[in-house]
Amino acid sequence: MRIEKQFAHVKALKPVRKKAGAPRGISPDVPEGAERLAQLLGAECRRNQYGEHLVLRRWFSEADSCVLHPEALRLLAPGAPEEAADQSQWLFLDTETTGLAGGSGTYAFLVGVAWWDAGGLEVEQFFMRDYSEEHAVLVALAERLAERRVLVTFNGKSFDWPLLETRYRMTRAIALPAPRAHLDLLHPARQLWRLRLGSVRLAELERHVLGCNRGVDVDSSLIPQIYFDYVRGGSPDPLVPVFRHNQMDLQGLAALSRKIFSLLGAPEAASGDALELYGLSRLLERRGHAERARRLYARALESGLPAAVDRAARRELARLAKRDNDFSLANSLWENLLGDSREGLDAYEQLAMYYEHHSREPLRAAALTRDALVGLRRAMRSGAIEPGRYRKMQGRLGHRLARLTRTLGRQNGRALFADSSEAPRTAGASDRES
Amino acid sequence: MSQSLAVRARATLDTVREALGELAARDRGGEILTEVRQLPARDAQFAPLPAWVRPELVAAYEAKGVEQLYTHQAAAAERVRAGHNVVVVTPTASGKTLCYNLPVLNAVLENPDTRALYLFPTKALAQDQLAELHDLCQRLNNCFGVYTYDGDTPGDARKAIRERGHVVLTNPDMLHTGILPHHTKWTRLFENLRFIVLDELHTYRGVFGSHLGNVLRRLRRIARFYGSNPQFVCSSATIANPGELASRLIEADVDVIDENGAPAAEKLFVFYNPPVINRHLGIRRSYLNETTRVAKELLGRNLQTIVFANSRLHTEVLLTYLKQAFPAAPGQPETMRGYRGGYLPGERREIERGLREGRIRGVVATNALELGVDIGSLDATVMAGYPGTIASTWQRAGRAGRRSGTSCAVMVASSAPLDQFIVQHPDYFFGRSPEHAFIQPDNLEILVNHLKCAAFELPLAPDESFGDVDLPALCERLAEAGFLHRSGGHWHWIQDAYPADTISLRSVTSDNFVIIDITGGEDGAPEVIGEVDFSSALTTVHPKAIYLHQGQQYHVERLDFEERKAYVKQVNVDYFTDAIRYTQVRVLEIAEQDRVGADAARAHGDVLVRSQVVGFKKIKFFTNENVGAGELELPENEMHTTAFWITLERPLLASLPFSVSDRQSGMFGLLHALESMATLLLMCDRRDLGTAIGERPPSPGIDAGWLEAPGSAAEAQEFFEPNLYLYDAYPGGIGFSEPLFRAHDLLLRRTRELIAACPCEKGCPSCVGPAGEKSERTKEAALAILDRLCG
Repeated sequence: MRIEKQFAHVKALKPVRKKAGAPRGISPDVPEGAERLAQLLGAECRRNQYGEHLVLRRWFSEADSCVLHPEALRLLAPGAPEEAADQSQWLFLDTETTGLAGGSGTYAFLVGVAWWDAGGLEVEQFFMRDYSEEHAVLVALAERLAERRVLVTFNGKSFDWPLLETRYRMTRAIALPAPRAHLDLLHPARQLWRLRLGSVRLAELERHVLGCNRGVDVDSSLIPQIYFDYVRGGSPDPLVPVFRHNQMDLQGLAALSRKIFSLLGAPEAASGDALELYGLSRLLERRGHAERARRLYARALESGLPAAVDRAARRELARLAKRDNDFSLANSLWENLLGDSREGLDAYEQLAMYYEHHSREPLRAAALTRDALVGLRRAMRSGAIEPGRYRKMQGRLGHRLARLTRTLGRQNGRALFADSSEAPRTAGASDRES
Repeated sequence: MSQSLAVRARATLDTVREALGELAARDRGGEILTEVRQLPARDAQFAPLPAWVRPELVAAYEAKGVEQLYTHQAAAAERVRAGHNVVVVTPTASGKTLCYNLPVLNAVLENPDTRALYLFPTKALAQDQLAELHDLCQRLNNCFGVYTYDGDTPGDARKAIRERGHVVLTNPDMLHTGILPHHTKWTRLFENLRFIVLDELHTYRGVFGSHLGNVLRRLRRIARFYGSNPQFVCSSATIANPGELASRLIEADVDVIDENGAPAAEKLFVFYNPPVINRHLGIRRSYLNETTRVAKELLGRNLQTIVFANSRLHTEVLLTYLKQAFPAAPGQPETMRGYRGGYLPGERREIERGLREGRIRGVVATNALELGVDIGSLDATVMAGYPGTIASTWQRAGRAGRRSGTSCAVMVASSAPLDQFIVQHPDYFFGRSPEHAFIQPDNLEILVNHLKCAAFELPLAPDESFGDVDLPALCERLAEAGFLHRSGGHWHWIQDAYPADTISLRSVTSDNFVIIDITGGEDGAPEVIGEVDFSSALTTVHPKAIYLHQGQQYHVERLDFEERKAYVKQVNVDYFTDAIRYTQVRVLEIAEQDRVGADAARAHGDVLVRSQVVGFKKIKFFTNENVGAGELELPENEMHTTAFWITLERPLLASLPFSVSDRQSGMFGLLHALESMATLLLMCDRRDLGTAIGERPPSPGIDAGWLEAPGSAAEAQEFFEPNLYLYDAYPGGIGFSEPLFRAHDLLLRRTRELIAACPCEKGCPSCVGPAGEKSERTKEAALAILDRLCG
């Protein structure tokens, strides 16, 4: 009685939701809805040394698995071992969890894996009908992971896999087979399509890049609560779309891998839109293929990019051209870029550098530097450039202008004996000279 | 060499005496320098390094100049070596860090798998310890890893720390939100965790300590999961019950080591009470001005001095005064500096260095310089106001004269009751510590929050225990509320949210009000300037209140109770506001009761406190005139907590030769003084306790017993047999009531001394509360009641 009275005042015991519902009695091992769920899904109950769990297997017909060009793998995951190219070892993986926060109190209640088989995609889902079945699910999953050792995920490197590592560690008994390679498609997808789509959620990629529509799908932020409601004795029906959601994620993941690998297998053959070409060129450049990146940047520019991306592409292309000493291309790109944008201001600076050091036209270099300073102040006032960047750039430009002014003064003074060595000097030394 | 030191020491002592003489010049009645105590130098007591210490560690310490140990260091090392939990109680600069570093590092050298977790109450202290350990590490060929792990640790360094840190330095908050919920990433540490070091143990009291007790329950639980059973090594400043506090926190037996073998230099300890300028109202000269005066005398004699203030604002005020008095020579850096939270780390390091090297002659600091941080030894400490506890007064005083020579410490009292009590009762201060640190880890509010975290970290097993509660019943309730789910016998966390994120170790519930400044400066964006907890929100940020934040006044424009937001605007007015609160206490259950003399009783137990802010007064600065008032309609607040109370029975009241209103006034005055004294005994803050007076109910839980007890006004109806309540101002109680019940005798005697020794005529804020609103005979009546109670 006394305890009950005390409990009544404890704020930390206040229900989280208005209708939290009653927890079910202690009687059955699994929630009442478990049997009905198995029927609805056509799933079977399997047993291993840690107990029972639910397994659902489905085969989806698909176009053939792509031909994997070894080049594509090198572009995607430079450090991956050779065997990562063996698609018979690929295992797609995606989990549905009781939360997104991570930490040892977040469970993966549904783990889906898939692999290409017989001209389609074989999907297998392991489900814990209640928390007590977690170990059984983890053992079943470990078997699959041991059979196929190359993991393919979407954001699995930072979410699904660390979460599973935690789950296995929590058992203190079941070992988690380490994959030989882990290919995560989130980062390449981001590089290729973020500019085009804004967001690179899997469902968005499917719709806009792969051209397939999921139709009705469950909002993933609701998934934890759907599971909680079910284990607390609620209806299992809302879980059916969760299983389907997981299946669709795996299918999307498989299709996306096909798309990415065919793009990376022959980047130059890509016929996609300009933004995709731009993304590809950035990826190539980052992996050290400057020459190929240059060609793709040029193609992306030809295909017509939105203004902001166009500027970025021009700047990148100019940078690559400069590296190749192709100043006619670089200069024309820079001339085209001049303005108050970040790229425009950089272009002033680059051109000034060119005229100062390469063509030795200090007068022209000084004029450009002055224009740059004016543009920089305008950009600062309009908020187009952040204060830190402004200060840095202003410092650099000011320095350059001072140096150019001294050079010009010297040239005027001894016009006939113009010092042609442009070796850098310290400010103090030049001051003494002039 | 030693002779010249002695000469120098003598010279310093003379200089200090000379400065004191100057201060005493206007002290005619001996009322200003209430105590000048000379604490003699003490020789070191040495013991050899134990034979089991590894030779490379012996060499490392010898290279640092440590060739033998102080006796307490040797005793601690032996006890730790034998596997005991230990708490070392020693003053500042007695080499306490060696007490844990020596046995811990020795264990790491013996077995490189060994791991240790050090907890410090603040990040700054951890940083300071890191430097010491790095030094040892280098002398040992970098054979072990030592890292701090806190909110500032960069993400890419964290993984390496988890794997390679033999000694990880962190704080309770980080352990609570960053380490325990992610224990699977710390497998290596938890599997091999042998030592947990708790430094500055005495700071873990009240709410913070009650939380830490639960964090440690979670920590031990995780350690068990990974098969380890770490022992605890704690260090504490001098308090009355270090062993009790330590064993309450770690829930195991602890050996107390309190024999100090470290040497101490001679020290003069001075209590300085600013002169009374209005005896009738008990008003004294400003203690800030007096602090400046004292500091000037010392600095003027070229004694390097640290001045402590109790708030950031006061730091700045005192710094301004001293900079005016000692301006820097043209073109030279300042010799007077400030030091407080909010200064940048680089600036702090520079000041610390300047102090060590003697370039900076004076520094004005908050408690940021009280603990740990190495600033070398100064000549003098001046404290502007009593720091709140005896323990931290000693820590501040310890900033002067760490090794040799004579130093001095001057405590300048403010007119607050505790300050006045301390300066007038020096034996109380210099005697055995009366300060007890109490915690209540079984406070349900706190415990339940940590139970949620524990369930998140690891499902709760049916046979587990967690504090002194009926765990299955509690889990059942948590399941009903939707937090836990029972499966396979275990209780699992079933929430999307991450429980530790919403639980602060510094307050009981996370139910806080956010304070939003809508003054709208140049950019016009509203800005969140702070938070207040639920219980104090109603009295500090009610509509039209003047809220003070970092010395700036804000007017509360609107209080959104539902959204827990207070909207404020900056103002500059000459008054502050004081909320009028009605408080009612209902006794729910009496835990224990006893008699006090013939006509009074005492008890402690569970109570329900209902309070409501019904209005406020505007009080003018300096004159304390009441310049206006307002009514408020705010929701009533209900809190279940624990209380200690004294019942004054009819015969006692009837025997008092006072009018009804004098008697009532005396009761309120007595309660004011009791509260002051209780905060001293409990090492707590005034806001940790609440007071109320109500009619004694016929029996617990009876509603008929409700009576109003206004906080200040004494015009309420006459009480027949009143209860004087001192309750814990936190839901669920924080462990103050039972100790007060046990110590009632001491509490009453000390309260009597406080009131009797106060030089005011008819009551003042230092004893029974401000005169003016109370009866002329408040002080007299309060003393008469105490006489009856003390028998």
